[in-house]
Amino acid sequence: MRELRDLARRLLEEGSVQTVLGWEEGPRGARPVFVRRPEEAERLIFDPRCVHNLAAYLSPRRPHLKGLGRIAICVKPCDAKAVAGLIRETQVARDQVVLIGLRCGGVLPDPEGRETLSGETVADRCRGCPDREPRLADHVVGTAAEGFPGPSRRQQKVEELLALSPDDRWRFWQQELARCVRCHACRQVCPLCFCEQCIADKTRPRWVESSAHGRGNLAWHISRAMHLAGRCVDCGECERVCPGGIPLGLLTRRVAKTVGERFGWRPSDDPAVPSPVGTWRPEDPQEFIL
Amino acid sequence: MARIGVFVCHCGENIGRTVDCARVAEALRDLPGVVHSVDYKYMCSDPGQQMVKQAIAEKGLTGVVVAACSPHMHEKTFRRAASGAGLNPFLCEMANIREHCSWIHEDREMATAKAIDIARTLVEKVKRNRPLKTIQIPVTRRALVIGGGIAGIQAALDIADGGREVVLVEKEPSIGGHMSQLSETFPTLDCSQCILTPRMVEVYQHPRIRLYAYSEVESVQGYIGNFRVTIRRKARSVDEDKCNGCGACTQACPNRKVPSEFECGLGKRPAIYVPFPQAVPNLPTIDRSRCLLFLNRAKGRPDTCKKCAEACSKGAIDFDQQDRLVTEEVGAIVVATGYQVYSIGKETGRDDLHGYGEYGYGTLPDVIDGLQFERLASASGPTAGRILRPSDGKEPKRVVFLQCIGSRDPAKGMEYCSKICCMYVAKHTMLYKHKVHDGQATVFYMDIRAAGKGYDEFTRRAIEEEGARYIRGRVSRIWRDGEVLKVQGFDTLSGRPILMDADLVVLATAVRPQPGIEALAQKLNVSYDRHGFINEAHPKLRPVETSTAGVFVAGACQAPRDIPDSVAMASATASKVLGLFASEMLEREPTVAVVNDALCAGCFHCERVCPYGAVEHREVRNRAGQVVRVVAYVNPGVCQGCGTCQATCPSKSVELQGFTDDQVYQQIQALGL
Repeated sequence: MRELRDLARRLLEEGSVQTVLGWEEGPRGARPVFVRRPEEAERLIFDPRCVHNLAAYLSPRRPHLKGLGRIAICVKPCDAKAVAGLIRETQVARDQVVLIGLRCGGVLPDPEGRETLSGETVADRCRGCPDREPRLADHVVGTAAEGFPGPSRRQQKVEELLALSPDDRWRFWQQELARCVRCHACRQVCPLCFCEQCIADKTRPRWVESSAHGRGNLAWHISRAMHLAGRCVDCGECERVCPGGIPLGLLTRRVAKTVGERFGWRPSDDPAVPSPVGTWRPEDPQEFIL
Repeated sequence: MARIGVFVCHCGENIGRTVDCARVAEALRDLPGVVHSVDYKYMCSDPGQQMVKQAIAEKGLTGVVVAACSPHMHEKTFRRAASGAGLNPFLCEMANIREHCSWIHEDREMATAKAIDIARTLVEKVKRNRPLKTIQIPVTRRALVIGGGIAGIQAALDIADGGREVVLVEKEPSIGGHMSQLSETFPTLDCSQCILTPRMVEVYQHPRIRLYAYSEVESVQGYIGNFRVTIRRKARSVDEDKCNGCGACTQACPNRKVPSEFECGLGKRPAIYVPFPQAVPNLPTIDRSRCLLFLNRAKGRPDTCKKCAEACSKGAIDFDQQDRLVTEEVGAIVVATGYQVYSIGKETGRDDLHGYGEYGYGTLPDVIDGLQFERLASASGPTAGRILRPSDGKEPKRVVFLQCIGSRDPAKGMEYCSKICCMYVAKHTMLYKHKVHDGQATVFYMDIRAAGKGYDEFTRRAIEEEGARYIRGRVSRIWRDGEVLKVQGFDTLSGRPILMDADLVVLATAVRPQPGIEALAQKLNVSYDRHGFINEAHPKLRPVETSTAGVFVAGACQAPRDIPDSVAMASATASKVLGLFASEMLEREPTVAVVNDALCAGCFHCERVCPYGAVEHREVRNRAGQVVRVVAYVNPGVCQGCGTCQATCPSKSVELQGFTDDQVYQQIQALGL
């Protein structure tokens, strides 16, 4: 933690960045913080409660951040993949952002978590995660940590759902999606949902019904998962912020499974790795072409 | 408020037989926004078009739906009619109730209901149509012709004679192609080189043709009227400006045992060579894979042999010459890359082609292919026109010709007919008879396909006057027995097995596209079939156009073609090119994608998926001139209106004009699903 605070202070003092984006201790656990002055660097923390993917703040669609000058952002390995996604899709220029990579052994499911990190308490998405430190980083700080072996329960749940009959699967999702109130928190927190105008807000034509009932909910969540095909970095933020507790990660995982199997794609923190959307290779499977 | 007119066509009986057109017109009359709805026997006839014009004028229509045939057929007709009556042509739409309905259904009730549905969706669509303007793009009035065989030569000459500049690219050291290798040509038996070489010379001397021989197309950018082509000029190791074509270098070369490509391996050439005496341009080329100096360099040894350079009085030999890239701006491209013959068992990159090893081609020296026989029969060939068999140089008295080697055989070769073989085998039997009077030619055939002017007469002449023996059947095996070849086959007309002796066997192997055609087609963005032949845009009505506007196709790279067909196709491409070059500006349909600047998030998924490279980056600036955002921009000249970008855009910020989301969505809504 000392290392992180010293680095943040130094970056602010020498003026190479004007803002350091990290986490601090809040009244209800860890929370994001914007550090603007060198002396405030002491507020920064990093521990397993720092679950938030701060890359969402880099989106150019957040105009209030434009006045914060050059930003240094603290990233866990999964967060770095989101930043790489933003660079890949020309939302952020690599030279406009400083990445402070944090060595990570997994986080808790909740920023308020009081448990110590163990195989039992670690967030489900971190189970089996092979990445211990981001490669897309200007600085890497923190102590080396060991991860927890997989498979994740979420992956198991995806397989279980796939084993169900379509009717049973349909019933499961109807029950889950019935709790959606269309607050769109899943969209707002997602670092890769950066459209100027979301398809859910379009009115001519109205692609997605806006009221919170089964049909519109289904259309919205399927659209969201499909729009993240080959882009989702599995940071789990959508699922964490859902006030209805809908297991949204199952949808994105399901899509990621197909993209991975068919196109050999895994979320990468290298912006030069081409996105599977719009990448064509002669060996791509095409048995669906009649 | 929309005022839509609906015009239902009977198309004689084509639609009227299965669809109750009067009822369709009546049903649509009640739709909101429809103020006029009629049916008529032939809407595309002049009175039919007058009905449309009159209704537009009298009822002040804001949109027209013609329920008739496919828009491929008559969309232009009715848009022109609408335009004539003062309506923007893009406010007129076709509802296809023929190909999509009457032709494919039998039940009159259900077909009528479906026709009403189809027309109704178009009414909803046309309500949301916006007036569009055709797009004007400038045209670079120069053409590129790829391939210097007879098709490429003809296309280049026709375009150049039409007054436009031509860039002709040929990958071999000389133009001329396969036609330069042929002895005599069917059905007239005139000497191939005698009719070809004047054309070659004409190309070389033509002030409007720029010839790049020994060159290949490296890359192609741009779009119809505005292509930018990079051409790789391969290093000949000879300075073109200094060389006077004296041939001293080829005489001096000590490595004289290289199998000659021009002679199909039946003759030898030196490592520095001119492929044949009438080559155009008459410039020698060093084959670096065979030259002793380059072989030594590859092994890291010092340069030893420089005999050609020593013999050259002009100092034209340049061992250090490098490939050069040149860029040419052209407005149209003609692909005329020609063919190769199926090289039994030696195909590269095609594991599925392995048939006919039982004929011993490549292992029995006296089993040759048709092109090799052309060289034997040619006065300029390795035997000076005498038919002598390769093994011992004796004159063969019994020659067996086998047709359809690889052709019409989906199990072992290609399923298509190679078209030229029936004719050239008949020609071969005649040439043989004219040179070996006491010889006997025997042909094994499946069918004789001799459709063409003077073609059937030609094959009849071979059989009836020139004594060729035609056996309907196939050969199962060929083996060597001392000096003779044993040919075992089956006569399917008499139902008897045959075993005969032969001194020479000639295989009429299948016509295949040139190797590398797929890579070239991908550079040009044109589609090709699974054999590699370039696809024409329409098999009947657009036979020399390709799937990409401004790229045309001529000759045997599109399908097996004989010389008259290739020449006719080449002239057709020339007329298409000259038509394109007739005006300085080119008119394009406005069915192109347009980006909504305000909504584009600049993720550029569209750029990655665009098959035409039409998506560019555009900077959006504020009043102070600072770049605030970078968004996608679709170049309307390049866009082909495929809609892939529209399908990919996550925020639906790019739309195809004339097929916007709103229009298509309302069409679906109209069905009430």
